[in-house]
Amino acid sequence: MLLAGCAKNAPQDTFQPAGSNARKIDGLQRELFYISGVVGVIVFAFVGYAVWKFKDRGQEIPEQTHGNPKLEILLTILPAVILAVVAVPSIAAVFELDKKDNDCVINVTGQQWWWEYDYVQGSTCGGVEITKSIVTSSELVIPADVDVLLRITSRDVIHSYWIPRLNGKRDAVPGRLHTLRMQADQPGIYTGQCTEFCGLSHARMRQAAVALNKADFQTWVTNQTADYVAPEAGTLAATGEGTFQAQCSKCHQVNDLKTADGTPVLAAPDLYVVSGVAPNLTKLMTRTAFAGWTFDLISAECRDKLWNAPPDEFGALYLQGVTPECFDEANLRTWLRNAPAMKPMYADPAKLAATGGKTRGMPNLNLTENQIDELIAYLLERK
Amino acid sequence: MFTTGSKLFFGATGLSVAGAIVFAITTGGPTGLMGTVGLLSLACIFGFLGGINYFNGDGNVPAMQQGVQYTSAAAQRPVGLSMWPMVAAFSVGGMVVGAVSKPVVFKVAVAILIVAIMEWMVQGWSERASADAGYNASVRKRVAHPLEFPILGALGLGAVVYSFSRIMLTVSKEATPWVFMVVGAIIAVGAFLFASKRRISRGTILGVCTIGAVALLGAGVASARQGQRTIDEHPTTVDSALCLEGGTEAEVDDHGSQDVSAKSNVVANIYLQSDNNLNARIAGFRDPKDNFSTITVPRSTDVRIRFHNESSSPQRLTARLGTFDQESEVVMCTTAINPGKEAFLTFKIPKTNAASGTPMELQVPGVEGQSIAIVVP
Repeated sequence: MLLAGCAKNAPQDTFQPAGSNARKIDGLQRELFYISGVVGVIVFAFVGYAVWKFKDRGQEIPEQTHGNPKLEILLTILPAVILAVVAVPSIAAVFELDKKDNDCVINVTGQQWWWEYDYVQGSTCGGVEITKSIVTSSELVIPADVDVLLRITSRDVIHSYWIPRLNGKRDAVPGRLHTLRMQADQPGIYTGQCTEFCGLSHARMRQAAVALNKADFQTWVTNQTADYVAPEAGTLAATGEGTFQAQCSKCHQVNDLKTADGTPVLAAPDLYVVSGVAPNLTKLMTRTAFAGWTFDLISAECRDKLWNAPPDEFGALYLQGVTPECFDEANLRTWLRNAPAMKPMYADPAKLAATGGKTRGMPNLNLTENQIDELIAYLLERK
Repeated sequence: MFTTGSKLFFGATGLSVAGAIVFAITTGGPTGLMGTVGLLSLACIFGFLGGINYFNGDGNVPAMQQGVQYTSAAAQRPVGLSMWPMVAAFSVGGMVVGAVSKPVVFKVAVAILIVAIMEWMVQGWSERASADAGYNASVRKRVAHPLEFPILGALGLGAVVYSFSRIMLTVSKEATPWVFMVVGAIIAVGAFLFASKRRISRGTILGVCTIGAVALLGAGVASARQGQRTIDEHPTTVDSALCLEGGTEAEVDDHGSQDVSAKSNVVANIYLQSDNNLNARIAGFRDPKDNFSTITVPRSTDVRIRFHNESSSPQRLTARLGTFDQESEVVMCTTAINPGKEAFLTFKIPKTNAASGTPMELQVPGVEGQSIAIVVP
């Protein structure tokens, strides 16, 4: 425990709150820690004194007494008073964390083993109009210094959403809608992970909240709702578009993608995946990681630069997305070569009788190296 | 010679082996195999325990002492009469009757047989524990009471709860609160009187409690024989053929959609206002400032909508959930509800609206020009 406290690269730290909600929790837990610490010290001091004072040294057993009403009343009232004192800030914090005045509402849906976010069409988020629905995964993008309400649910099993520096955790339960408020003081990236054991790759179900200032958030929304741009004819990416349609589009949606004859390419993950969804890849390269935010899309150097960027420079750096210079091709290539080898996902076709042939993640598509080259070229333009 | 305890265990061993053979022959497949293995395992355990008992002379005296198996307390005949052999015999008879009539009779008889054997064993053991009858009685209590009291308590409590539940399901819905209050008041007053009268005799308390228990059990049995009152079902949705039709006065049901869990998980509230405008208030947004003409819902997720009828006539909410491939349009709707009432609608949409051949929307049949678009990204 002590050694874990010495970790330098530990971004999921509740003791470093970065928003008003997390700060309330942090303040409360510090108050309670001090009170319970004093009580603990007193109790241990008395126990230690009794152990030392009355140690068996061969002396006669002292006189045994039974019942002391004054002492018993005191020892009943004192803890009750302490608990009553502790209850005041605790209950106040519960009500403050449950306030309803939100400036943005985002749907958060968990499934094995990644998070999906969709932004309510026709609403405003921190003053920015969401004119067209946005659906993304793993990275929750929010405006900084704005009260955001997450409406959390699940499509398969119980998960739990937690960004430690922004608020406490909230369970995602199928059939139920739970809410969690988020607010980040400054632009930056705040990491988290699923905290309810949810199956084989629970440890690889991570997420992040990315806070942008209003102008940058407007730019992000505009980009997310922009029309599809097809790859230039004759390029490797254009070939990759066809490969994507043949291999990936059964589950993964790229908005506005059309076949050569103009027919919309519509994913039907409900036919192939237990949860009924797969990550939308329309703007894959605007994110920094994939597969439940487990594997980086950008190199370690670029990631460090982004994570450590000052708040006023963070947005511009983040909005660059995955650039050719920063692209960590090895991760994506290995994933496309055999995804279940990187992240266990019950995707072996021979073992899917219980789910009617549906997988809980991406199976091995047995792609050739040429197909992988084409897909990487195509996906690199999805930003 | 075999000691008394070892005879018991060796007998149980033989019974288990015989049971295993019968089970293996009469029951095939994995169940037969598992049962046979289980019974043979039981035989091994009993055989082992029998061997241990035989070796140490039932643990009462040194094993090597000559002739002790004839002279020790454990070898003496029991001093009291026992009803348990008779109970066991009746339960075996009950098993036979149950085997040819109802499975529940067989199961109850098996349970009674197990209890009878246990009690018989404990009684047999305790009466041979020493030559002191008082001590023997105390060891019996020490062994048996920790099992008997919780089981008898649970059975008694179960009988009371079951009887009371039968009564409450039999009396009319209007009478149930009164029955509950009267019974509760009688118990409270009775307990108060018992507590306040210090010299009340134990027999009086026992008599009153017995009369109360008998009355409760009798009323419970009588209620169970009479059966439940008629409990109306209130469906949350109606036949989809009616969903697109207006004029729904004939089948108005204000009691539909009373699911408490649904009420706490609504994605949006849909209001049909007095001027026949339809708008949505999405959970989480400031209310009532933010009215929407679209709702955004995740695909493949349970979506719960609450419909408020603020118009002047009975209405229902209809969800048109798209047309996919060659299949016909998916349509769902609430039951029609009176003005001022609410209804719930739950649905799940597996595909995006881009995949639908028809618009996905919420509407009220008969109210023209008003709809809430459903967006599934």
